[in-house]
Amino acid sequence: MTDHIRNFCIIAHVDHGKSTLADRLLQLTGAISEREMTAQVLDTMDLEREKGVTIKASAVRMYYTAKDNQKYEINLIDTPGHVDFGYEVSRALKACEGAVLVVDATQGIEAQTLANLYQALEADLTIIPVINKIDLPSARPDEVAEDVGSLLGVAPEAVLRVSAKEGLNVAQILEAIVTRVPPPKDADDAPLRALVFDSHYDSYKGVIAYVRVFEGSFKHTDVLHLFATGADMKPVEIGIFSPGMKPVERIGSGEVGYIATGFKTVHECRVGDTITRTSAPAAEPLPGYRTPKPMVFAGIYPVDADDHSDLREALEKLQLNDASLTYQPETSQALGFGFRAGFLGLFHMEIIQERIEREYNLDCLFTAPSVEYEVVMLDNTTLTVDSPAELPNEGDILEVREPWMTIEIITPTDYYGPIMDLVTKRRGIFKQQEYPAPHRVQLDYEIPLSEIIVNFFDDLKSRTKGYASLDYQFLEYRPDKLQKLEILVNGDPLDALAAIVHERDAYHKGQRLITKLKELIPRQLFDVAVQASAGGRIISRANVKATRKDVLAKCYGGDITRKKKLLEKQKKGKRRLKMVGNVEIPQDAFMAVLQLGDE
Amino acid sequence: MTPDTSIYLHIPFCAHRCAYCDFNTYAGQGDSIPAYVDALIKEINFGAAARPSAHATIGTIFFGGGTPSLLSAPQLASIMDALRAAFTFSSNLEATIEANPGTTSPEFLHQIRAAGINRISFGVQSANPEELHMLERVHDFFDVIQSVKWARQAGLDNLNLDVIYGLPEQTLQTWQTSLQRILDLHPEHISAYALTLEHGTPFGRWSARGMLPLPDPDLAAEMYEWASETLEANGYKQYEISNWAKEVKGQKSKVRPSTFDLQPWAPAFACKHNLQYWRGLPYLAFGAGAHGYAGGYRYSNVLRIKTYIDRLTANSQQPGTAFPLTPAAVNYHRLSKREEMQEAMLTGLRLVREGVSDAAFRRRFGIGIEDAFPKEVDELLRLGLLAWNHVSTDSRLRLMWHARLVSNQVFVRFVE
Repeated sequence: MTDHIRNFCIIAHVDHGKSTLADRLLQLTGAISEREMTAQVLDTMDLEREKGVTIKASAVRMYYTAKDNQKYEINLIDTPGHVDFGYEVSRALKACEGAVLVVDATQGIEAQTLANLYQALEADLTIIPVINKIDLPSARPDEVAEDVGSLLGVAPEAVLRVSAKEGLNVAQILEAIVTRVPPPKDADDAPLRALVFDSHYDSYKGVIAYVRVFEGSFKHTDVLHLFATGADMKPVEIGIFSPGMKPVERIGSGEVGYIATGFKTVHECRVGDTITRTSAPAAEPLPGYRTPKPMVFAGIYPVDADDHSDLREALEKLQLNDASLTYQPETSQALGFGFRAGFLGLFHMEIIQERIEREYNLDCLFTAPSVEYEVVMLDNTTLTVDSPAELPNEGDILEVREPWMTIEIITPTDYYGPIMDLVTKRRGIFKQQEYPAPHRVQLDYEIPLSEIIVNFFDDLKSRTKGYASLDYQFLEYRPDKLQKLEILVNGDPLDALAAIVHERDAYHKGQRLITKLKELIPRQLFDVAVQASAGGRIISRANVKATRKDVLAKCYGGDITRKKKLLEKQKKGKRRLKMVGNVEIPQDAFMAVLQLGDE
Repeated sequence: MTPDTSIYLHIPFCAHRCAYCDFNTYAGQGDSIPAYVDALIKEINFGAAARPSAHATIGTIFFGGGTPSLLSAPQLASIMDALRAAFTFSSNLEATIEANPGTTSPEFLHQIRAAGINRISFGVQSANPEELHMLERVHDFFDVIQSVKWARQAGLDNLNLDVIYGLPEQTLQTWQTSLQRILDLHPEHISAYALTLEHGTPFGRWSARGMLPLPDPDLAAEMYEWASETLEANGYKQYEISNWAKEVKGQKSKVRPSTFDLQPWAPAFACKHNLQYWRGLPYLAFGAGAHGYAGGYRYSNVLRIKTYIDRLTANSQQPGTAFPLTPAAVNYHRLSKREEMQEAMLTGLRLVREGVSDAAFRRRFGIGIEDAFPKEVDELLRLGLLAWNHVSTDSRLRLMWHARLVSNQVFVRFVE
């Protein structure tokens, strides 16, 4: 019996109020009391709350008595709200029959609105369009309703208008879910097929898999089998989220719940995998499983070499919870022992960086991010290189290929020019444009990934006063005239600062990088020469002159304590410097390539 | 032989708060001076009643500020009397007062000299009118000449002049002129400080907003080096990073400095009170915001004048219960052995000629300097910032001459 079940998700552009709306729905259905309400329950990590985005999906069961006096089981499946997590989003959507499409009444349709909408339509979801934030003075609900209506091919009146923050009209959404979203297919008798759409690691129960049962049912005593990994397991516990974990004995077709697998890492139970019963397995898994592929790579080094094993442990623990994070040991001449880590995108990398620093209290140095290059050698062998320092000698290389992306930018038409300029400067190729709504243009480009992992999004935002939005997808590998830009400090190449750049940009980037490094490297007890080299030539050089004055002045009435505090402060600053040979280099310098700006 | 104890007295009153100053001082509270002097005397008596016998003899006294010369001569005399009654003064006591040029009348100077104050330190800062104006100092260099003359006439024959370099818009030439003018006055002692932009001062705020050109550190370094050479050439011997003093030899002086504690590492007219700080010897603190070091404690008093007076007027604490703390103390920290060792290096290395004696370090801590700081000393020797000076039975670790101006690079290695 699945008539009284509804599974839905909320899709929105970042900041359009998805989490607030979810909170309001939980409150309204009594899934959570006023008292338990900390803002945005579904985002459990501090970091998510701070960044205002949902990193990990979550699934909550609510009960709602509709106008027809029937009680419905409504499962809200929360989806990550950032482009880096596109695959996770697609799995979460698969677990639903309907999607609430939230559009900000002040911002209108944005790139992720569309990208998510297309994904939802691809997953055959029933869309319930909602305009949020109608309480804001700058809201223009009529205009946005018009746009959304024409986008979906529905009357503007069918678009609900709410303010999640004020709780205004939120009940209408629940009613619409019940009446418009179809119930899941009732297939209790078929062999079990349950989709893992998310997971997290729990130190007591092991990996918790979030599942949506499509066919069949299972009990807490059943032995279960995972298709992709081939593993069998006896669940520690099965249950539902309400919103805390609540054990149940059985989860039936159409339902959403969790399985405490007892697995030690999320790699043993991957998002997108299908669970079946070992004793009566389904013939084949649900379609669409994919291993997440990291796109952006960076070196991670402890500032203090003694922290190396702590860093390894931190990465191990983070990986328990994050199947998309990859890492392997790496050694840098300059930075010593560290790790090369792979991330889904730059945003994912920032999150990992902050978590390492905040949750594990480690001072780490992240090198500038790089993409993965395919290098075809003269002997026709192909290498993959994700660390610029490892690019072989130019003379041995036939060609270097780099990943290209398709990007979709949605912007008010006024910013057409600045965006075109930004993208073409970064080697982007214009493909096509569309007008999804009045005064909105969607621009499609192809562009090398390496050109968008550094500051692209920030530049886009600043050129469009924050109005443009971006979505991207991997396209293919393409060859180009790429070469290694090396930085030498006092004559020695600093491997961690090497970059792979287009031949055309090498001179310019080298010069700017040297200027920047000269600013960033503090004066030391001796002169420090910084040089950039590309294609076997020194293309830029600068000299950081030795410091001549670093002295504390008057000691006020014998206040030694204060002098000591000032020195302690200075020492603390010094600890954030990395000794490379005998030169102290600040963390900023390793990210200097990110700060070159566009001038 | 037990070393003498020093006494620091803080006088937190100023006629005007200068734009660069972040010391504990207040303008416009002159009405509180009489009550403050009473409270100060009470605190002296507290401290004295509590002192163990080790702190019996006082070697130096220092009236710092603020502007101690804002007190009247009788007020200062009453404080000196209270000190004399409460403690035993060493036969060659050094008693210093800080003063602003132009605020000290001949009568005042005579009276304080009669009260036992035998050293005076004038905050000259610069001889350039524009620089003085920028610093918001209320005197001009004519006041300095006058004040020095009157001080000499009053029999103050141990004189210090303070001067600041590395000022915004200061040039090497204006600095040279200032220092030359100061040399013309033949002080026994010269302190040359680099301007530090302190957080919370108008200078700090102006420079943060870009309204004040930052002093150029390279130019400041040149000023320092020029000053160092010039002062040495004029018979001033540098004994501390920012302090120079005359050798007694060949100088006319009525004061006979004791030879025991100064030779051979400090010039005769070195400020003994300063040396007390750098040598890690004890000093008691009296007055609002004063800092002391005694009995293994570093401690400091409450900052505000009114609170200070209140604490001493209305206290129930029995004298002598918590030496060295008096009812005015608000912060205190008992130093661990490790901290004592660190501070011995931080302060001792500031004495550029004397350095830190390995034998003295061993006597005090039971281990040698290189046992306590093996990595640090090795690295600093390798970097050429420190050097050992071997003399007969003792070895002294000292700053290399060229490292004086980058000494923070050395000190920073001795803190956590």
